[in-house]
Amino acid sequence: MKKKLFALLSLLMVASLLLAACAQQPAATTEPTQAVVEPTTAPTEAPIAAPTEAPTEAPVVEPTATEVPAPAYEGQKLEAPNCDYGGNMKSMVALDEFTVQFTLCKPDPAFLAKIAVPSFPIFDADYIKEIGGDAAKLNDNPVGTGPYIVKEWVRGDHITFVPNPDYWGEAPKNKEFILKWNKEQAARLLDLQAGNVSGIAEVSAEDIPTIQADSNLKLYPRPINNFLYMGVNNTKPPFDNEKVRQAFAMAIDKQRIVDNFYAPGSVAATQFAPPGLKPGFTEGYKGTTYDPVKAKQMLTDAGFDFNAEYTLSYSERPRPYFPLPSKIAQDVQAQFAEIGVKIKLEMEEWATLLPEVRAGQKSLFFMGWSEDYPDATNWYDVFLTGSSPSFGNPFPDIVELIQKAATLGDPAERQKLYDQVNVLYDQHVPTIVIAHGTTSLAFLASVKNVVLGPYNENFDQMETDSGTLVYSQDGEPVSLYCSDETDGSSFLACRQIFDTLYNFKYGTSEVQPALAEQCSANTDGTVWTCMLRKGVKYSNGASLDANDVITSFGTMWDYNHPLRKGNTGVFQYWKDFFGPKALNEPATP
Amino acid sequence: MGRSGCPIRLFHLTSSRMIQFLTRRLLLIIPVLVGILLVTFIITRLVPGSPCYVMLGERATEESCNDFMQRFGLDKSLPEQFFRYIMNLLRGDFGMSIKDRRPITTVIAERLPMTIEITILAMLFASIAGVTLGVVSALNRNSFIDTLTMIGANMGVSMPVFWLGLLLAYLFALVLKDTPFQLPPSSRLSPGMSLVPLAKTWGLKDVSGVKAIILTFLSNSAILNSILTGNFKLLVDALRHLILPATAVGTISLAVIARMTRSSLLDVLGQDYIRTARAKGLKYSLVISRHALRNALVPIVTIIGIQTGGLLSGAVLTETIFSLPGVGSRLVEAILGRDYPVIQGFSVVIAFIFVFTNLIVDASYAYLDPRIRLK
Repeated sequence: MKKKLFALLSLLMVASLLLAACAQQPAATTEPTQAVVEPTTAPTEAPIAAPTEAPTEAPVVEPTATEVPAPAYEGQKLEAPNCDYGGNMKSMVALDEFTVQFTLCKPDPAFLAKIAVPSFPIFDADYIKEIGGDAAKLNDNPVGTGPYIVKEWVRGDHITFVPNPDYWGEAPKNKEFILKWNKEQAARLLDLQAGNVSGIAEVSAEDIPTIQADSNLKLYPRPINNFLYMGVNNTKPPFDNEKVRQAFAMAIDKQRIVDNFYAPGSVAATQFAPPGLKPGFTEGYKGTTYDPVKAKQMLTDAGFDFNAEYTLSYSERPRPYFPLPSKIAQDVQAQFAEIGVKIKLEMEEWATLLPEVRAGQKSLFFMGWSEDYPDATNWYDVFLTGSSPSFGNPFPDIVELIQKAATLGDPAERQKLYDQVNVLYDQHVPTIVIAHGTTSLAFLASVKNVVLGPYNENFDQMETDSGTLVYSQDGEPVSLYCSDETDGSSFLACRQIFDTLYNFKYGTSEVQPALAEQCSANTDGTVWTCMLRKGVKYSNGASLDANDVITSFGTMWDYNHPLRKGNTGVFQYWKDFFGPKALNEPATP
Repeated sequence: MGRSGCPIRLFHLTSSRMIQFLTRRLLLIIPVLVGILLVTFIITRLVPGSPCYVMLGERATEESCNDFMQRFGLDKSLPEQFFRYIMNLLRGDFGMSIKDRRPITTVIAERLPMTIEITILAMLFASIAGVTLGVVSALNRNSFIDTLTMIGANMGVSMPVFWLGLLLAYLFALVLKDTPFQLPPSSRLSPGMSLVPLAKTWGLKDVSGVKAIILTFLSNSAILNSILTGNFKLLVDALRHLILPATAVGTISLAVIARMTRSSLLDVLGQDYIRTARAKGLKYSLVISRHALRNALVPIVTIIGIQTGGLLSGAVLTETIFSLPGVGSRLVEAILGRDYPVIQGFSVVIAFIFVFTNLIVDASYAYLDPRIRLK
């Protein structure tokens, strides 16, 4: 009886599952469910239509019996009705086949540096239309103008690049470039020592002596602006007291931390900006110096509770600016203990720490930053203008100066303002900058012509005996649709196959023309006109023209663009650089 | 009494009892999978953290994340999300990875072959070497060999696999560099070698659905791919790259199997029928191989089954050290990145494999020991 009942129940279960499966309409695709984004109920501006055509004037040609007049180029344009939508881009217009004009709401002295970042690649508009702007499809067949094309992407293992035969620039010097990845630094070094790879990324400080002692290997320090800081939330007592924050800044021996835990060449922070940032860094300004005795006295005078325990949060996520997270955190804890302050360390997973910090839930935390482009706006504007509640309330005197400096074109005038900001920073202490860390790459000594800059590497120009260059980084690229990516692993891959209008000269932080032969600004820096390089071909044979730029930028700018799909669909870099809002972006409920 | 020394009871695999048993066990897999799905679904969503912040990093803002969550349907209520997921799952749609928006079935088909290859090689190594060592140890009980073997087994169980993996890589890639014994310390294949998709090799176009998944699976198995395409060089390269990881991960299983073999065999060797067989004049080697070992196999097979099931869920540390694109590393990446569809999809597949492996082990008991009744 029991057996029959069991059999019956089993049959019923299977039947119900089958019925449930068959009852639904089969999905046409396996696309993720995407919410339909409704426009806001009361838009402050009229929604912009899809890119419109702005026909250029065709040259006057008298038709002869054998001549047919060339069709006029139908350049696209995209424009906002006004600048109230919350971003800095006013319009972008294809004036002719090879000329694009960008109009900004406010001057941006860092415009060229921003568009040189790999998150602004230029795609073939027709190809993007063909794939519907879908990153998943682009990953399977990326079409770009870069020195390489993708031969294969073996997920989880490697990407193989081969030279682009139609590349407009200097042809790659190697016949194959293989990008691999391994999260473990020790494993990457082992690969290098075994000759399995030609070069590796992110060499740890502890491995530097090993590499330097091996004549088969060569170390390449990489100059980059970054910093580690301790965030201090000024809405959380006792850190709402400025004297307490100043005392905390005074209590940390930054030099000791750098000497004990950082790679050679790293420096202790003396002010907010890193030494290489110009305008920004104030020469000769020492800022808050280490003085534990004075720090303790200040805390006592401020009525600080030495019996309470204060939580310092961080994530075990090694970075050039934070090479040994736990050890550095423990040292800071020990330093505070020397002046009687009890710090409780709280190590959290990155996925949980970051949202809590961004929501302003943490009093003290360690975070860091590596710059995207060489301009003060990538530092001061990001951290000190109140863009997130991580640090509590912004300081109006600091914000005013920063916002003014961001609109000026003269570096000397900007420096004067940043000099004032640097002093106010030490007074208000929104964060405590600890150190600027160096990072190093290592290659086999036999690899020739290695040139590293803060933002790129000249892989296409490196030479190996075998003609195959193999490089191991610390993570797999997420996607090759770099307009909608934020991770360095993806950017490294994108730099090989895509180009930007401008790029960074190898080994430097200078921008130079790339797909644009020249971009020039008007007097007040609000209008940038870019002349594109002629004769540039994509890897699918299509030719570069101005509409490609409009489409590539337009999908990032216009929330309602029909081809705005990407990978996450957020296009965060655009919002960071030309935002904070995208055009037609609905208001946050 | 038959040759086995115990009452004969022929038990064919095709008997109705076996069929009933297998059917019942297969049906029981369904509620197990549903349960695992439910638990995985709830746990992953209750764990703090959001995939948006992982993907966007320090650049994430509340507005961006609201948009992100909406696009991926993660702003819906949990019951609604679960219901949608189950409905899609019943149609064979495991969803898309939040990280790179690729179908989960494709991701599984790409990663599983690597894990299966490591598992098979590791378990072959562990089983053959482990059983051999266990037998030698049992037959030389309390001797120097026995002591040495068991010390080795204890060391094998105690060694952290990532340490062993790095040590093996250091030894074979660096110390033995430029010798015939050099082995590659990482990756699946040597630079320049690649797994050409079988669809491309065979000129198949517009392949989709289950066929595409099977082709992806076969293409991503370096061993099967090389056999099917007749690429001997690829086969050798793939096997060379598997030696170190299989050895690292198999060493622990070897130690466990050796200990179990010794213990089980000693138990059987003490039985009356063994003494009887010896008294009747049977050669010692025949007594061991035909009578003792076979009767000792049930617990050994159980252990092998458990170890195999465990390895098939992905040897994370080994895959990380040797940079191998297997199930374990992808699953850990998904957990840290809160890539819910990947976590759910992989959990279901791993659970199925584990349960199925146990089913095969259970079914094998009837073959190994006719005394076992299946009720």
